[in-house]
Amino acid sequence: MEMVIVAPPAPGRLEDLRRRFFATPLQAVVSLACLTIMVFLVWKLLNWAVFSAVFTTSGGPEACQATAGACWSVIAARWRIIFFGLYPYEEQWRSALACVAVVVMTVLSCIPAFWTGRRIALVWGAGTGLFYVLMKGGVLGLAHVGEEAWGGLALTLFIFVTTCLIGFPLAICLALLRRSELPWISRTTGLIIDGVRSLPLISILFTFAVVLPFALPQWLQGDKLYRVILGSALFFSAYQAEIVRGGMQGVATGQEEAAMALGMRYWQRISRILLPQAMRNAMPATINQFVISFKETSLVVIVGFFEILASGNAAYGTGEWRFAYVEVYAFIAFIYFIFVFSLSRYGAFLERRMSVSER
Amino acid sequence: MISTNSTGEPALRIENLDKYYGTFQALRGINLSVQRGEKIVVCGPSGSGKSTMIRCINRLEQHNGGRIAVLGTELNDDVGNIDEIRREVGMVFQHFNLFPHMTVLENCMISPMIVRKQPRAQAEATARHYLEKVRIPEQAMKYPSQLSGGQQQRVAIARALCMQPQIMLFDEPTSALDPEMVSEVLDVMVTLASEGMTMICVTHEMGFARRVADRVLFMDGGEILEEAPPDEFFTSSRNERTRQFVSQVLGH
Repeated sequence: MEMVIVAPPAPGRLEDLRRRFFATPLQAVVSLACLTIMVFLVWKLLNWAVFSAVFTTSGGPEACQATAGACWSVIAARWRIIFFGLYPYEEQWRSALACVAVVVMTVLSCIPAFWTGRRIALVWGAGTGLFYVLMKGGVLGLAHVGEEAWGGLALTLFIFVTTCLIGFPLAICLALLRRSELPWISRTTGLIIDGVRSLPLISILFTFAVVLPFALPQWLQGDKLYRVILGSALFFSAYQAEIVRGGMQGVATGQEEAAMALGMRYWQRISRILLPQAMRNAMPATINQFVISFKETSLVVIVGFFEILASGNAAYGTGEWRFAYVEVYAFIAFIYFIFVFSLSRYGAFLERRMSVSER
Repeated sequence: MISTNSTGEPALRIENLDKYYGTFQALRGINLSVQRGEKIVVCGPSGSGKSTMIRCINRLEQHNGGRIAVLGTELNDDVGNIDEIRREVGMVFQHFNLFPHMTVLENCMISPMIVRKQPRAQAEATARHYLEKVRIPEQAMKYPSQLSGGQQQRVAIARALCMQPQIMLFDEPTSALDPEMVSEVLDVMVTLASEGMTMICVTHEMGFARRVADRVLFMDGGEILEEAPPDEFFTSSRNERTRQFVSQVLGH
């Protein structure tokens, strides 16, 4: 028998849909059922969030309670608390500018053109300096605002950024020490890393905030905020050190030998040959660690700081808006989403950019 | 800085070299002296210590006994000496070991710039000169992974030459190559030899040995068993083990 093989014509879009979802009667039923559920859920959500929602504060909380939709007026009425926490009302523009400074600093340091030692140091120095002066005041005619009054988004960003700025270099140091050829150095470092990793973050924060002052002389204590940041940076570095070490193990031993044979010194080999390749290997896990750290900033509430999540509690927690907690949490979730999602997309961009040199 | 030779000091002098990996003795009392401009080919079965020996010369392996002096500088724990020797000794590896995150040009420029502190323009000129010499100037802006094995190995040679070393070490430079790419690498090495470079090559390319080598060394069990000019080495070897090896590598 003669067989003639003809390539089937490419299906049109409708035909493709029919084949995927309506190939058999049973499949058609299941597809329709799923579609109905989806449409129903999306409609309910839209109806709650948009169509029946109250957006203006004119009617006050009472207007919200009269409708079945979302009460976004709580955000309109209380957004200052969410973003700025307990920061004095007249000075809140400073907190807003400080947030902008941190975001600009982060965005700039994500641009490859700024990846030289001098530029990145300049960006970070200027960014954190500006943040500190704006928030703390006491100079340039700005009223003094103590760290205990910092809060909201500004505090969340500050804790996250400083945790990473301190924790990341520390992580690289720990990773390098752990692969030292001297056993007592590598073992001690390993012990420190594993020790820190086996403690819960909350207990570390608590120790640094509350217990440490008893052990340190007055002049070494600093403000509670900076002790908490140090604790959180230590925690971050213990995890990140293992990620960096994993990345280093993925670099062929021949790379370091070639660098040695070319006469490069230890730090030249590390900075020019080993770390660039190790960080590329470690990129997905590193982005993951950043994302986790961003969300873990919310734990500082247990030592009495009102970062964005805790400020949200305060926003609906006082009397009249008590019923509107879902809206507040949805709004805060959206803010988290913006930051974390940008971070993830940036990670994807970095991976694409780095893969250019591999293939 | 090491002065160019005027005292008759050999490029390399190895005396009673011992090397252990744990309890396994990889090198046993190696003695070798190499004059400037001399080309040495080292051969022998795998595990005989050839690679270990040349890796001791630039301290990729640390020796446990005996002495090594490179260009008159004693190789010991003195980091300054090690740095000085590594600057003057280039090495080419079996697996190329190019830096994958840098372009070919950057591979060639980095060490002159950060080790020899050359200005960028000078390092680039040198790099382009040597890339020309290994006949791949047009690949300068590519990344190593975009090149064939033979091209990568020629880049590795150019990279080593950019440091303008006085001695070149080759550790089985053609063993990892597809057969059709072996000759392009050997051609570059032959040219280099004809220009008077001091070379120590671990290789099984006996045609290359015959053409270029001043002396051929045969190693087995961590010892140098035979040392002779190529003609003598291939035709009238005194050592039974050497004759057997030569007949095996030339047998096909």
